Amino acid sequence: MIIDINFVGLIIASIMASAVPLILASCGELITERSGVLNLGVEGMMIIGAISGFALMTVTGSLIIAVFGAMLAGVLISTIFAFLTQTLITNHVATGLALTIFGIGISAMIGKNFVGIPGKEFPVLFEGLKDTIPLLSPILFGHSIVFYFAFALPFITSYFLKKTKVGLIVRAVGDSPESASNQGINVRLVRYVCILYGGAMCGLGGAYLSMIYTPQWIENMTGGRGWIALALVVFSTWNPIKILIGAMIFGGLTIIQFHMQAIGVRIPVQFLTALPYIVTIIVLVVISRDSRKIRLSTPSSLGKSFHKNN
Amino acid sequence: MNTNLKISNVTKIYPGCIANDNVSLEFNSGKIYALLGENGAGKSTLVKILSGVVIPDEGKIYLNKNILKLNSPSDAKKNDIGMVFQHFNLFETLSVFENLIIDSDEQRENLKEKIDTIMKKYNFSVDLDVPVLNLSAGQKQKVEIIRCLIRSPKVLIMDEPTSVLTEQETSELFLSLKKFSEEGILIIYITHKLKEVMQLCDEVAVMRRGKLVSVSQINNENIESLANKMVGQDLKTIKKKKENTSSEQLIKITNLNFKSEDPFETNLVDINFSLNRGECLGIAGISGNGQSELFQVLSGEIISNKNSIEFNKNFIGDLNPQERREYLMAFSPEDRLEQAAIPQMAIFENVALNNFKSSNFFNNGLINESKIKEHSKKIISEFNVNTDNIDLKSQFLSGGNLQKLIIGRELITSPDLLICFNPTWGLDVGAINYIHETLIKINEQNKSIILISTDTDELLKLSDKISVIHRGKLSKIMNAEDVTSEKLGILMGGGN
Repeated sequence: MIIDINFVGLIIASIMASAVPLILASCGELITERSGVLNLGVEGMMIIGAISGFALMTVTGSLIIAVFGAMLAGVLISTIFAFLTQTLITNHVATGLALTIFGIGISAMIGKNFVGIPGKEFPVLFEGLKDTIPLLSPILFGHSIVFYFAFALPFITSYFLKKTKVGLIVRAVGDSPESASNQGINVRLVRYVCILYGGAMCGLGGAYLSMIYTPQWIENMTGGRGWIALALVVFSTWNPIKILIGAMIFGGLTIIQFHMQAIGVRIPVQFLTALPYIVTIIVLVVISRDSRKIRLSTPSSLGKSFHKNN
Repeated sequence: MNTNLKISNVTKIYPGCIANDNVSLEFNSGKIYALLGENGAGKSTLVKILSGVVIPDEGKIYLNKNILKLNSPSDAKKNDIGMVFQHFNLFETLSVFENLIIDSDEQRENLKEKIDTIMKKYNFSVDLDVPVLNLSAGQKQKVEIIRCLIRSPKVLIMDEPTSVLTEQETSELFLSLKKFSEEGILIIYITHKLKEVMQLCDEVAVMRRGKLVSVSQINNENIESLANKMVGQDLKTIKKKKENTSSEQLIKITNLNFKSEDPFETNLVDINFSLNRGECLGIAGISGNGQSELFQVLSGEIISNKNSIEFNKNFIGDLNPQERREYLMAFSPEDRLEQAAIPQMAIFENVALNNFKSSNFFNNGLINESKIKEHSKKIISEFNVNTDNIDLKSQFLSGGNLQKLIIGRELITSPDLLICFNPTWGLDVGAINYIHETLIKINEQNKSIILISTDTDELLKLSDKISVIHRGKLSKIMNAEDVTSEKLGILMGGGN
């Protein structure tokens, strides 16, 4: 059998494309969690982003408005979460779960009028270079701007956390909000910003699904990707680069198992469908075993409400 | 340049308690001031007001005759007031340097240079690149002090700084503080340890129940006079009677090892000791050297080899705490509200918790509330717990009362051995006295105690035999009469 080298490149590119929404949502949630806030509303924020992006695109016709509108929608819905958990000091877990249920419900309601409408074509970059280098060309060129942003994001996030002062403050707040507050850091403000940023990234991840990856609106189209994104954050032990690896494995196995089903490999379908979930978790657990590093990168105050008493 | 700090008529009221009642004080640089008082006397509140953490209801603070507005910790910092809290305000998972740069506006290189200068000048040595959680308590405190010194403060406030330090670290700290004072930094030293006040300070202000009781020169005071001012009554000092203890062996530990999978716990290496009836074995050490692991191994929270613990001629190393209680062991863990009692449960429910097997307390799986309450009332009256409401949630008891309740709960079953871990940590003088009396009484009834404590004075007062734990290893067992606190200090630091 002769395998066309460009075909391999195309498969890798499709794996990367399927990893994009996971990377975006995970990196956003990572910042939120690093500040000590556990937001289980990722799935809800993603689906809100998906419907907002698609609806704005259809109504206004402007892709720019749609993309930024989706991020704004993510910010808005996460503001609810931020207000409840940071100002009214509600429980993070319960509030996050409510956010997901709310997001799925409201997106289905808004989405009623958008079912079956075809999406628009999203412009891609460097299309002219597509045939220049074998194997690498399809991987490197001809993707949307969101795609490139997503693959830069883990490195930007890592740099932000390790090298910048604001990143240091985020980590400090996640480590000990009490100490941070005594140092004169406004814990609530930092956490608000981190939650809203997480909302924006989840919104963008959702918009990528409905506008670029499969340009249409289907109810519940995030299909559990928000939960996978959450799991990636934990199993990567809050390390953005490992999120990238995890998202690629998950995306890769999802694509490959589709192909295996299509070819008719004699493995039960249920097992193939479950494979990406199992393997991703096993791999991340294996590469994140150093308990010292886990201790150093786990935000100690994760999920705990901070109430400044006077 | 001289610094003058004045507190004028400061009042702070919390629901149900007046933390500071019209307090006025004046400090001048060049001297070291002690602020002395029991727990709950209001000294911490006063200090929090000075550092901007708490805003007073009334009163003003002046620095060099200018009114200070201290609405947040950053206001205090801006006005050159530095503060080292009792519970460190450090970020455990960040490196030392990250901890220092986080509230500094300076460039990395400048800051590094500045830190180097400070460390050279005061002979501090701390590795800037390791995460704070790898540091000893003494080193953590140095990081906190460096953090204050970076801002060249006019005022430096130390809140109970020696509670986590060894004897040597304490004397090092005192040397540094004296040096700071000579350089013109005004030092306010908060403590309830009288010995330290006499050793270090020039002037002493005593607080009791939110009020300022006295301000005086240290030359006019001695330990007894300060203690009486602090407590407000004459304290009787108790001494342990040295009697001939029996030679009947009660517990014997042979080659006990514990290897932890958690890299932040300490491994125990070849623990060997034995204890006779009526004796108290004190185990000294700087916290984090394996005390909590040793306590857990002895209490059965961590199960070990069956033959490693012989108690009353039974091998019990593989039993859990509940089963060990049946052999008449009793336990008082370090953390009263986390390990010893359940804060959200009522006093009487907490009393029932260590006594599942008592047929009195439960009938066919149902709680026999009246029996438990009767029993609880007995504990409360016998052990002087200051409440008559046994339905009260235990979180509302003060530390001293809760500790009395816990010790009472353990002792009312008349166990042969009580193992306690820092039983007087954070308690005030009155409660400490009571707990000490109780422990001495147990020994007099020919029962034994294993006392794991970080308080050397307490150990020297109560123990018959003393050993020191350092990095999970026990030193040889010494007779308490032959031991001095200096010697313990050396062993605690890993010396010989």
